[in-house]
Amino acid sequence: MIEAHGLTKHYGSKTAVDDITFTVHPGKVTGFLGPNGAGKSTTMRMIVGLDRPTRGTVVVNGRRYAQHRAPLREVGALLDAKAFHTGRSAYNHLFAMGATHGIGKARVREVIEMTGLESVAKKRVGGFSLGMGQRLGIASALLGNPHTLILDEPVNGLDPEGVLWVRNLVRYLANEGRTVFLSSHLMSEMALTADHIIVLGRGRILADAPVADIVGRSGGTTVRVCSPQATRLVELLAGPGVGIASTAPQWLEVTGSTAQAIGEAAAAAQIVLHELTPVTGSLEAAYMALTQDSVEYRSTTSGLHRDPNRDPKDSDGAAGPDVALASTEGPIR
Amino acid sequence: MSTSILTSPAETSSPGQRDADDVRLTFPRVVRSEWIKFRTLRSTIWTLAITLVLMVGIVTLYSAILASQAGAAESTSADGGSVAVFMIAAGIAQLAVTVLGVLVITGEYTTGMIRSTLAAVPQRLPALWAKGVVLATSIFVVSTVAVGISLIVMQLFLGADRLAPNLGDAETVRILVGTSLYLTAIALFAFAIGAILRHSAGALATVLGLLLVIENLFLIPWKPLQVLSPFLPGTAGFKIMTPQVQIDAMSQGAVGAVLGPWQGFAVLLAWVAVLLTAAAVLLRRRNA
Repeated sequence: MIEAHGLTKHYGSKTAVDDITFTVHPGKVTGFLGPNGAGKSTTMRMIVGLDRPTRGTVVVNGRRYAQHRAPLREVGALLDAKAFHTGRSAYNHLFAMGATHGIGKARVREVIEMTGLESVAKKRVGGFSLGMGQRLGIASALLGNPHTLILDEPVNGLDPEGVLWVRNLVRYLANEGRTVFLSSHLMSEMALTADHIIVLGRGRILADAPVADIVGRSGGTTVRVCSPQATRLVELLAGPGVGIASTAPQWLEVTGSTAQAIGEAAAAAQIVLHELTPVTGSLEAAYMALTQDSVEYRSTTSGLHRDPNRDPKDSDGAAGPDVALASTEGPIR
Repeated sequence: MSTSILTSPAETSSPGQRDADDVRLTFPRVVRSEWIKFRTLRSTIWTLAITLVLMVGIVTLYSAILASQAGAAESTSADGGSVAVFMIAAGIAQLAVTVLGVLVITGEYTTGMIRSTLAAVPQRLPALWAKGVVLATSIFVVSTVAVGISLIVMQLFLGADRLAPNLGDAETVRILVGTSLYLTAIALFAFAIGAILRHSAGALATVLGLLLVIENLFLIPWKPLQVLSPFLPGTAGFKIMTPQVQIDAMSQGAVGAVLGPWQGFAVLLAWVAVLLTAAAVLLRRRNA
């Protein structure tokens, strides 16, 4: 169980994590999602005390990480695939790390076997690929047989077999009753692995809910629209709570509205529609919708009004990415 | 691979149950961990080997030259005897031990290893002290071995002429032990600077620049520099290896203070203590 209360981290004048409160429960895989720079890694680093919180607290099983008698038994963390001395072998790295807690060679060999590093264990880490580095990081995290696992982007650089292995591993560990906290920017991966998801954007929590809720909540609200008059349609649909992204010339993805409402609005304005499809809910769409709501809407409207005299019928490509709502940070896919 | 996880016996203990085995963090274990880290890097082994070879090599060269010279007895007694060669040997060997002292800590920062270290020892300071203990012990042992081999070499070359150091003489013993103590202390000095700067090149430039350049600049005959000069870490620490006749000669017309052997060494230790304290405070405060 990880509990964060009002956790805040400033780096100089930049706020990386802004007053977040959340709980990661044992027995399930909790995914930590967010775009790059959202503050995921900073949050994870604060949990194990590598970064000092500017304000707020975070405890693991009721105590700050540093106050545990056997920190490695409490939390196993993979925070990056490069937290090793390049001149030391994988085996010696694990052996030295384990020695701090009296963890012996038998356990070191065990985690090497588990992570499939047998053939390279005696080689120096400097020559490792990113995937091998990730495996060694996971081996280090498992070394203390910890109650809580914190894995930052564990599937980065892994081959498909490795991705599947990590997925099975974290599911297995959670089923044993352990707390598993896993960050990723791969939404599809998270949909397959996590039970619960915390979405972070610009240092703030955007959502904290079971995967099913997050997918379900916005599932019916994404509508794919194709129209030769896309630009006019954008003006028509824009309003509070509606997010619009242009995916290609003539193509729009609308959130916060329904196919029925869009169809009726288009008919009333005599706008031709070539396609009007409610998109099946996916975690990815939900994630886009979430980050869009919090950050993008304002730039959406300002983008629209940037050139009010523009003739909407001007050209087919008018609704292309250049006019796209959210042109600066928008989730244009 | 995934099946091996499922069958692994160590994974079967439920996280709720408190562990009967003795897996926990203790200071002796952190020292053991640091010792494993220390000896499993090639750079460590190389630097210690170089230290040994440099010291024994210099003493051998000196002994061979001395043995071939007529009237060597008179010239060496003016310097305080053949044991004075250890000042030269330590002056060269300190280059190797300061490099080691710096790299022991900055190597972890430049590679990212420090994040693993501090995640395993989240109180942080035990890791710093353990590194210091391992470094100091290793360097003391290696330099003592180097002094021992050097003494045998000197006996072989100079024993017949009764020029070899006499272990019955208190000053000789002070110089021999002082050589190991000086190299140990100067390595800790470099280690503390490495821990403060966290950057290999920057810390090496600082330590070597101070010992080889700055301290020599203080020999410029300008009073303010000469007053401060005896208190610089290298200059002060060297006193523990300096024969009394040389200290007496230096005190003639000295502008600043003239420190005795142990006073000088105490000044070096004070430098080490202050810098290690600063390193400890910074380690507690900074993000890793």
